[in-house]
Amino acid sequence: MPTDFDDWFVREILVHERALAQYLQRCWPHRDELHDLRQEVYARVYEAAARNRPSSPQAFLFTTARHLMTDRARRGRVVSIEPVGDFEPSNVYLVDDVSPERWVGARQALKRLAEALDRLPDRCREVVWLRRVEELPQKDVARRLGISGKTVEKHLAKGMRLIADHLYGGMPPRDGEAPAWTATDEDDGDARQQAD
Amino acid sequence: MHDSRRIEQAAAEWLARRDRGDWSPYDARALEDWLCASTRHRVEFLRLQAAWREAGRLQALAAGLPGDEVPPRGAWVLGPVAHATHATHAHDVAAAGTATPMRARRWRHALAAGVALVATGAALWLGWQLGGRSEADYASTLGQLQTVTLADGSSAVLSSDSRLHVRMTRGERDIELLQGEAYFDVAHDAGRPFVVSADGRRAIAVGTRFSVRRDAQDVRVVVTQGKVRLDAPPGADGRATPVSLLPAGSVATAGRSGVLVRSLPVAEAERYLEWRSGFLTFDDTSLASAAAEFNRFNTRRLELADAGVGELRVGGNFRWANLDSFVKLLEMGFPVRAERLPDRIVLHAR
Repeated sequence: MPTDFDDWFVREILVHERALAQYLQRCWPHRDELHDLRQEVYARVYEAAARNRPSSPQAFLFTTARHLMTDRARRGRVVSIEPVGDFEPSNVYLVDDVSPERWVGARQALKRLAEALDRLPDRCREVVWLRRVEELPQKDVARRLGISGKTVEKHLAKGMRLIADHLYGGMPPRDGEAPAWTATDEDDGDARQQAD
Repeated sequence: MHDSRRIEQAAAEWLARRDRGDWSPYDARALEDWLCASTRHRVEFLRLQAAWREAGRLQALAAGLPGDEVPPRGAWVLGPVAHATHATHAHDVAAAGTATPMRARRWRHALAAGVALVATGAALWLGWQLGGRSEADYASTLGQLQTVTLADGSSAVLSSDSRLHVRMTRGERDIELLQGEAYFDVAHDAGRPFVVSADGRRAIAVGTRFSVRRDAQDVRVVVTQGKVRLDAPPGADGRATPVSLLPAGSVATAGRSGVLVRSLPVAEAERYLEWRSGFLTFDDTSLASAAAEFNRFNTRRLELADAGVGELRVGGNFRWANLDSFVKLLEMGFPVRAERLPDRIVLHAR
């Protein structure tokens, strides 16, 4: 079912989610709208790129984000917006340095996954572990934990969302709360060399 | 709930249902319809699907863990996996499940390296407590941040290469910033002012969030919550210096010639404190200042060979630990050439 284009989208666009989230957060004053903004940016990029794949996906992603914010600001949905016009193409590239995800090394990727798993609520974590790691079929997971199949499904759905958030660093952390990984990932530099 | 959240939830439910094992052509058709209904549906589905696929790498973590129990949190980071780094190859293959042996081993090595990294570097803690009094020294090394909890429940984040001396008594909380920069989240205690002194300046708070930083010439105070009073003890001539009251959003620079206060939206003032999460933020900043910032955090120095290079303006967010990438970007976007030496990188005009 996944098409080449979908793979391209995951590989070239979604990997920049943390940088995108930070960029949106920096420019947009209403935090409760960030999730919606992000989704619309992705949708716009997906549609435009399906017609014509951009040669520089990350620059295109940021340009799309900027245009979307400008549109919304113009529609009067916000009072003030940072003069985003400052973000020249070369600057956009610089901004993206926040998250050169493709350089993130194996060590970090696995560390982040382990963190993502550990941050899940207890039962959710058990379900994810048994299904995704032990690869037990859902109904065996249910039997093993003594819960209904429907509950297993619910926990999985929740686990998927939380893992994606942690992995891609999608949504900005709440006020004053640093993302869990920032304390331990100052090893970007050397991690890069073992990236695969 | 915003629509976007509902869509994300629905995408997750589709994935979980498809994972159930009784997926029929009819279901596949229904999913396809849902995906086609809106591009938002599709992108959210792709996003969760990719993350879930990625989560399959967790199988590498299972290798080396005993039995089929769900391991306790953190077990693999500090426990069996790290120790299992030198486990025999055959065991790896058996335990790694669907992960290829090569990959499993690589993960393991990578993880062990991570553990070693976490174990290095800790604060110097020389505290003692004597009947309500406590005194402690804290220090961070170059390139490290240090978060510490003080005796009164306040917390401080020491920036790279910084030192604090903390003295708590029943009536006072005295913190001396001996070097570098620190951010304080002050526990509310109206009866005991929280006083941070640096180079003859004092920033006084009751319960608030702010940072104090020492530079060669001046002291900078950034307030992100509450109010801070900035003053200096009376000079030798007995004359008191003017007092500045800094509300949230203030960025005050106190130098020999006085105090300059800029009032910014709080979110903007917070940018001055992004070093806490590993970033330096520049906004039309001269490359000379940017280099000085990087040098506060790294042993490998960034030097500018020409004055003209120092005047280039840069903007953006950068990981202070990732000097290499900053320099690479400079080379791409600016007329500079980097000369990479073991202990420093020198930028030349090109």
